[in-house]
Amino acid sequence: MKKKNRKLAVILLTGTLLMGVSACGKEPRVDKNLISNSDDAKRIVNMFTPMEKSNPNAENSARTAQELTVIAAEKALGVQVEYRTYTAENHQEKTYDEVLVDRARNNMDDIYLLNPDTLMLLGSEGHLADLSGLENAKNLREVVLVANTIDGKLVGIPQEVAAYGLFVNKDMFDRYHLELPNTPEEFLECCRVFKENGIETPVGANRWWLETFVLAQGFADLYNGGNTEAEIDAINSGEAKISDYMRPGFEFLKEMIDKGYIDAEKAYVSEAIDAEGPDFLAGKTPIVMAYWGAAITETAYGNPDFNMQVIGFPSSRGQMPVVPLTGYGISANAENMEDAVATLNFIISDEMLQLYTDNNQVISPSKNVNVDCIDALKPLNDIINEGVYVLGSNANMKVEQWGNTCLIVRKLLNGASVEECMAEFDRLQEESLKP
Amino acid sequence: MIVSIILTFIILGTVVYTLAGQISSKMSQSAIDNLSESLGLLRGTIQAILQTEAEFQKLIAQELSLLEDPEAFVRSYNPNKTMGKVSIIPAGKSTGICNTGEVFTTDHLDFSSNKEVDGLPLSGSYLNDMGTWAYTISCPVVKDGTQTATLYIEYIYDSLDEALPPKFYNNNATLYMMDARSERFVLKPKGIGERTAGHINLQDFYNANRILEPEVQSMVSESIRNGDHVMFYHNVRDRESLIYMWAVNDGALYLIGYVPIDSIQQEGKAVNQNIIIVVVVMLVAFLICCILYFLNERQKSHILKEQAQERELHNQQLTEALQAAQIASSSKTMFLSNMSHDIRTPMNAILGFTTLLAKEADNPVKVREYTKKITASGQHLLGLINDVLDVSKIESGKAVLTMGEFTLDNMISSIDAIIRPMAKVKQQKFDVTAKDIKHERLIGDETRMNQILINLLSNSVKYTPEGGHIQLRIIGLEQRSNQFEHLKIEVEDNGYGMTQEYLEVIFDAFTRAENSTTNKVQGTGLGMAITKNIVELMGGTIHVTSEVDKGTLFTVELELRIPDQTSDGQFWEEHGIRRILAVDDEPYILDNIRILMKDTGVVTDVSADGVDALLQIRQALEKGDTYDLILMDWNMPGMNGVETAREIRELAGAGISILFLTACDWEYIKEEAESIGVDGFLAKPFFVSALKEKLTELGSGEAAAIMPADAAADNCLKGRHFLVAEDNEINSEILTELLRGEGVSCVVAETGRLAVDAFITADPGTYDAILMDVQMPVMNGYDATREIRSLDRADAASIPIIAMTANAFAEDVKNALDAGMNDHIAKPIDIEIIRRVLGKYLPSSGLDPTAHNTSAPQDT
Repeated sequence: MKKKNRKLAVILLTGTLLMGVSACGKEPRVDKNLISNSDDAKRIVNMFTPMEKSNPNAENSARTAQELTVIAAEKALGVQVEYRTYTAENHQEKTYDEVLVDRARNNMDDIYLLNPDTLMLLGSEGHLADLSGLENAKNLREVVLVANTIDGKLVGIPQEVAAYGLFVNKDMFDRYHLELPNTPEEFLECCRVFKENGIETPVGANRWWLETFVLAQGFADLYNGGNTEAEIDAINSGEAKISDYMRPGFEFLKEMIDKGYIDAEKAYVSEAIDAEGPDFLAGKTPIVMAYWGAAITETAYGNPDFNMQVIGFPSSRGQMPVVPLTGYGISANAENMEDAVATLNFIISDEMLQLYTDNNQVISPSKNVNVDCIDALKPLNDIINEGVYVLGSNANMKVEQWGNTCLIVRKLLNGASVEECMAEFDRLQEESLKP
Repeated sequence: MIVSIILTFIILGTVVYTLAGQISSKMSQSAIDNLSESLGLLRGTIQAILQTEAEFQKLIAQELSLLEDPEAFVRSYNPNKTMGKVSIIPAGKSTGICNTGEVFTTDHLDFSSNKEVDGLPLSGSYLNDMGTWAYTISCPVVKDGTQTATLYIEYIYDSLDEALPPKFYNNNATLYMMDARSERFVLKPKGIGERTAGHINLQDFYNANRILEPEVQSMVSESIRNGDHVMFYHNVRDRESLIYMWAVNDGALYLIGYVPIDSIQQEGKAVNQNIIIVVVVMLVAFLICCILYFLNERQKSHILKEQAQERELHNQQLTEALQAAQIASSSKTMFLSNMSHDIRTPMNAILGFTTLLAKEADNPVKVREYTKKITASGQHLLGLINDVLDVSKIESGKAVLTMGEFTLDNMISSIDAIIRPMAKVKQQKFDVTAKDIKHERLIGDETRMNQILINLLSNSVKYTPEGGHIQLRIIGLEQRSNQFEHLKIEVEDNGYGMTQEYLEVIFDAFTRAENSTTNKVQGTGLGMAITKNIVELMGGTIHVTSEVDKGTLFTVELELRIPDQTSDGQFWEEHGIRRILAVDDEPYILDNIRILMKDTGVVTDVSADGVDALLQIRQALEKGDTYDLILMDWNMPGMNGVETAREIRELAGAGISILFLTACDWEYIKEEAESIGVDGFLAKPFFVSALKEKLTELGSGEAAAIMPADAAADNCLKGRHFLVAEDNEINSEILTELLRGEGVSCVVAETGRLAVDAFITADPGTYDAILMDVQMPVMNGYDATREIRSLDRADAASIPIIAMTANAFAEDVKNALDAGMNDHIAKPIDIEIIRRVLGKYLPSSGLDPTAHNTSAPQDT
């Protein structure tokens, strides 16, 4: 028995050794081409999107949501979406919008993520392709289609309805027994109380988003008065002066600047969130303005230590959200047009928008997708759900509103008078009237 | 074993660790070399492109120098994705024209870094009108040795993209191109770099990848300033990585990025993983071998252990067997020694006194004395022989029980008759009590029961010093079945007691307590073994507790069948007993009487003392429902039995029978009792059968005839004529002589056949009885008896035939009775027994109240 076992062990060991030696000494085959020459190059789709400064410890949920849909598209369509980005190092450098316009005009990329003003500019210049033929465009809400249609062409489709609102530190309001403001007067009164109580700058601002105050006050009646089309027609025809709509907002901002409720100098050179964000999160500034997604983005105001609420901007009609509707556009001369169209069509499908909305908790542009928003956003969401809002940009209005107002507000910040600002609007309107 | 395994593991682990470390180190170095080579290749490619661009630009400049209108040539150029803009500024002017027709100045161009490509100045990077990063190379347009203009061509970084690899280390590595002067990232090649966030500049790269150490940043800055390559290890997002910054074009540009080490050590990692797998497999195999070896060893050890245990058990069994054999041998030796001693002692007495008897044959006084002693010695010898035979029989499993009805009263009477005299000799107090007995008539082997109790009690008498106290208690326990009486019999003494060691062997045969006190006591050491065997034969248990110098308690528990009840109501009616009164100061005795009388139909009242008894009798008289019998304890506190009896007689006259209940010897009080009109006595404990017997006596008027039974027997033997069947001449001679002494004449027949013939030939009534030996030649006693009984003559059935044999066991008695004999007398012959037994059967003999069968062995 023992001898048998020994023999078996010797045979097994010898076998194992031989197998090992034979495996190591395998001769390579000389008649085989080791390189695969099949064309495995990916179909590329170049996408130009804004880029935030890197913070490795922060999760940008908006970008994550977008990335999720893009990854799904890559997997489904077999394309590779290449991100092209640009971010200005400082205010002296070209802005994202400026670079985007340059790139779009030179057909540098296939898909662009456009702000309302660049959308309108490039759309009117014919640099953006008509997207109305996309299969999934039929799911879009009417407001989205209206706001992004230029010269009968749907030039932009967003993944979210980017509503802007006021982000307020409710604890600070409670501390000074203040109600959340509905009208400009109430807002100013709140600022007065804050100021008197040692809050040096009650409103944190940057060079980008102060126009929301102006648009909210200017167009509150236009969009919610039941006579929108006629009023827009009147502006487009020159019967109504756009400066008349904008004046109250500018006067309001001027008063804010004059009374020190806004630090104009700082705002003039500040990028979004960079300047006002830390003070707001530290509880030093009770009010800032931002887009919906900032409430759930860690890089912005996603994790405050206080009771934060997002409300509408003050207007004569009460709190008013501003909805500028950014969106994706495809270059009219896109190098990879077919893949770009397929990619965009994919990422605006209901399934992808649901994925995006679930991750980003935003209002979806698709009428088939709903959102469960966080508590802080409920006040703003409730107002929008009632159909009360102001469009940040409307392609049907000849004078572009979002970008122009932003630029003119910067002039105000830089010391221009309200009249000078109104004159600029008048000039723009006159230009728009030219054939 | 374990140490060697651990050592093997340690050696194996060390070798594997060292090998893996060496491989890892070599792979790391190889990866660094490989990475350097790759980066060098990229650098070379980009420099080649720059070089080509510069050379191309020189060619255009040369071409322009030959043209009349170089500006027209410039304007004719259409921008593409490599060259964004072509411009020319004539020598000596600050403005020129570009291909778009716009005025061109160099205001936005920064050539201050003095970097060159192929000798041509290279500008810093900038964002051009196409919204993309670009650089410009300026080239002089020289005609005839004189610079006529400067050609500026703007090149777009994106055009370098094609020169860079689509995947760098399987997309695990990042790669950017950085403008060294501004530290702006000017190119992110396709497929390389972060997808969710690009980098703006070097600082952003530092922040994003947490390269925040000032010394590292300082080292990088210094290297960039010098146009040196940089590569260092750093942790990026929890992965150890290699950061690289590779100078291109003399440090004007840098290729920047990082690659996780495990991505560049994939081969090393795979090799290490495979080594680990092989090692793990080897270890597992080694462990399995160890486990198999261990299991094998354990099994072996287990088998060896079992074998050792088996051997040990075997040895132990052998040792035990040897010990048992030695003990048995020792016990037998001791037994033989004891026997030798015990047999020789009486034999010595017998032979000695026989010798003396021969000498003193003429002296009747001496003769009587010697014969008495010879008889005593003979009796003792007989007891010894009986015991030995009994044990032998029980041990060989041949013992059987002879079942029959008996009463506890008879049993106790028999025992009392034997033990009390023995106790009296040693001045010991002997008490018998019965308690909670529900049935006194039971079925069992009375002889064996007697044997048990006699053995226990005689032992107690033997091993209790003079003046000691011996108690026999018979207690009725709760019945387990209504067909059986559950009895507990306790024999207790306050004698020498026994050691614990002896208690363990007390029931073994041939053992006897050895000490200076008990050595004086004779015995075979078989009594307890016999007792235990009998008890177990009866399905009972026996226990003993004892303490040296304190005493011993034997407890026997037995269950005895209750015979079918026969109503004895008629007996009581016949004797005129309807109602009785029991008087005793012991409540348990009264309870006992009540329980036992329950089934008789006789009303039984009880009274605890004399005064109360008188009261009850008076009340009964007044009601006209007087008592027919008073059972009176003789010895009561207060008014004793005698006084009470006297009062009763005064109160009720002689109409009420009075019987004394007493544990004392009746002889002491007989005279006084009779004088006051007590009718008789009942020995305690009370039993109904004893009462009935007494009542029968009183009824037949024999109670008064208190005379010794043997006296009556004497009368019955005298003048009788017996036929004796005995083959042994000596025995027949002894018998005939003894009988002659009793006035009996005998005819001796040597065989059964002769005995039958003698009976047949004799006239009816010739013989008063036949004494029949059993073992005889020609025809044995049983056959002879059966033949006699079968004879057709008047006295054949009635003539008493008494077995007289050395076959002394119970079954011998049974066989004798079955053969038709009337009774059985065991040899050796005791004239007293003959007298008593024959007294029962001879026509003129009276009933001896104390007579009972004593043919069974009685002594230990």
